[in-house]
Amino acid sequence: MNAKKVRTAVADVVGDTDPTRKAAKLASLCSALFRERGIELVVVGGSAIELLTDGAYTSGDLDLCRLTPAALPLRQRQEIMGELGAQGGPRSWQVAGLFVDLLGILESLARTPLRKLEGPYGVVQIVQPEELLVERVLVSVYPQAHPPARACAKILAALALKGQVAMDWQEVRRLAGQPEYGILPACKALVSEVANELKTQSPLDSPR
Amino acid sequence: MSSRPKAPSIPLDRPISWEDWLRGRRARRETSKSVAPGVVRRSLSSSDRRLRKLFNGQRGLPFTPTEEL
Repeated sequence: MNAKKVRTAVADVVGDTDPTRKAAKLASLCSALFRERGIELVVVGGSAIELLTDGAYTSGDLDLCRLTPAALPLRQRQEIMGELGAQGGPRSWQVAGLFVDLLGILESLARTPLRKLEGPYGVVQIVQPEELLVERVLVSVYPQAHPPARACAKILAALALKGQVAMDWQEVRRLAGQPEYGILPACKALVSEVANELKTQSPLDSPR
Repeated sequence: MSSRPKAPSIPLDRPISWEDWLRGRRARRETSKSVAPGVVRRSLSSSDRRLRKLFNGQRGLPFTPTEEL
């Protein structure tokens, strides 16, 4: 992207007052600029949940991880973010009315594909909803009950049960049963609860 | 027969277009709110200080009402 296009894109993000769309645009712009240097970014955490669900969850920060294992020198990070008129660093910047946090290399156990959104400035990669669901179920019960995480898990499950977000339920079952999560009974219970609310069946209740 | 178009799904194995993602927002919000009403944004986090400073005491921009999506 040339400097003029970047300036126009930043102005578009600055002027957008819808928090979810604004985050999607900024993720698209950051992804495009890092991709030009061979670095792939992935949206993670609450930002990823918001892009997948529109569940009114996101705050004013956008969490990104690197998919590319190669080292990313601070100088390069600062130069890329500088093109966007960002302030701060070395891992967190204020840019276009949001905070962007670059958290390191993606840690995901999921074997399903990253989800992709063709954003206005480039493709946005989003961490797998299977991983997000299992992670939120875990956080909702350990180390103690955490209602916001439970709400997120319910939202993800509902969207998946209604077919609005494609979810690989076998992968959810596998991940939830992994020692890293060890949360299959709680996951089955939560999905079953949401399925009852939606008057449908839980795919986790059926045999493999 | 209902003529209301089905909301586009976010697929597993191919990208969703920007237009389809925008078109599906309202339906996704409605489904979300059917199981978790209200704003479920966390009330605090380690980023609280900087967020509240930038967003006039809030933790982010206000959400667009569902009917305007």
